[in-house]
Amino acid sequence: MTTTASQPERSGKRGLAPIWLILFTILFIMAAAIISFVVFQPILVLPRITLAPGFALTDQNGNQISNEDLRGQIVLYNFTYTNCEECAQTDEVMAQVQNRLDEVTAVDIPIKLVTISVDPEHDTPEVLTEYAQSLGANPDQWVFATGSPAMLKSVIGGGFSLFYQQQEDGAFDLDPGFMLIDGNGIMRAEYRTAVPEIDIMLRDIGLLVEEAQNSNGAAKIGYEAAHLFLCYPPR
Amino acid sequence: MHIDRRERNYVIFTIILITVFAGLVMVSGFAYGIQVPEPFMEVDPNTVATPPSPWGAPVDERVRELAPNKYEAYILAQTWTFLPNRITVPVGSTVTFYVTSKDVQHGFNVQQTNVNMMVVPGEVSTLTLTFDEPGEYTFVCNEYCGVGHQTMYGTVVVEP
Repeated sequence: MTTTASQPERSGKRGLAPIWLILFTILFIMAAAIISFVVFQPILVLPRITLAPGFALTDQNGNQISNEDLRGQIVLYNFTYTNCEECAQTDEVMAQVQNRLDEVTAVDIPIKLVTISVDPEHDTPEVLTEYAQSLGANPDQWVFATGSPAMLKSVIGGGFSLFYQQQEDGAFDLDPGFMLIDGNGIMRAEYRTAVPEIDIMLRDIGLLVEEAQNSNGAAKIGYEAAHLFLCYPPR
Repeated sequence: MHIDRRERNYVIFTIILITVFAGLVMVSGFAYGIQVPEPFMEVDPNTVATPPSPWGAPVDERVRELAPNKYEAYILAQTWTFLPNRITVPVGSTVTFYVTSKDVQHGFNVQQTNVNMMVVPGEVSTLTLTFDEPGEYTFVCNEYCGVGHQTMYGTVVVEP
């Protein structure tokens, strides 16, 4: 009696154990993989902060330039006006970034610098061309642009959330800031200071280049996982 | 090892329940973008009230118009007041609050809205709100911060 009663019970146990074992092993491996990804951060990405604003401005040659023209390119923006003594500091930073851009190896990923002037009345294309030359700007890489006051306000204040205001004496109260936009038009880094660390800016540009070059096929899943698990570089 | 059938069912039910809850947390976090407050910016509470810090600007310049209907408000919480404690914006404005404390821990809650955050010295708390209805919105400190805690409030005036 006892042997026949225990027989089906044991066989039932044998049937169950491997299923649980397999399930738990799968769960354990998945959890271990996720935790190791979060801990070791094999891929670093820059956060997707927000959508960059759309715009249509006039560049230093008098040509129209819009955000759509800059699609597929990594763009670093800064904001200035040529009569400004303080903002010259941020333009110097842009010049240094331009001169060190060869440290970032970008194959097929163009990198652009865009300086937007908030003073369209004074900063005509001729003035901007002269200013670009004084900074040693490479005209293929570094664009100077300006536009109507309403457009500038909606782009810089509304889109980039950077405060500026014209004073009674005609000078501008302008917060310093640099914005890094990826090829999809998404803001990936912002440096709200007049003296950012250029090494960090170049590192960030390098990370964007790497992501643009490498996130295809299976690697794209890795990059999306890096976004999901907030694998951001130290600030 | 013998496990009773009902006990086993309960174990299975519990595992399913945990999986469903964990899944819901993932969905709300990643699909709906519901995020817990995270460190935004660190400041030095000793120097936060002096220029060039935006919380050191004159009180009436701490609310700035970035673009039409887009504002940013740098609010300094201190014992026992908010500076500025009266903010006037037109209806339909989107206001981003940047709140920090220069002394002890405070709270910042714009009543009858989703803006409710802790204000910790050394950290900047930030939330964005669009004021679609005209009226007066009171914001209060909702973390007990000392004997004058009940006097710590201010108003957002949304003009039609």
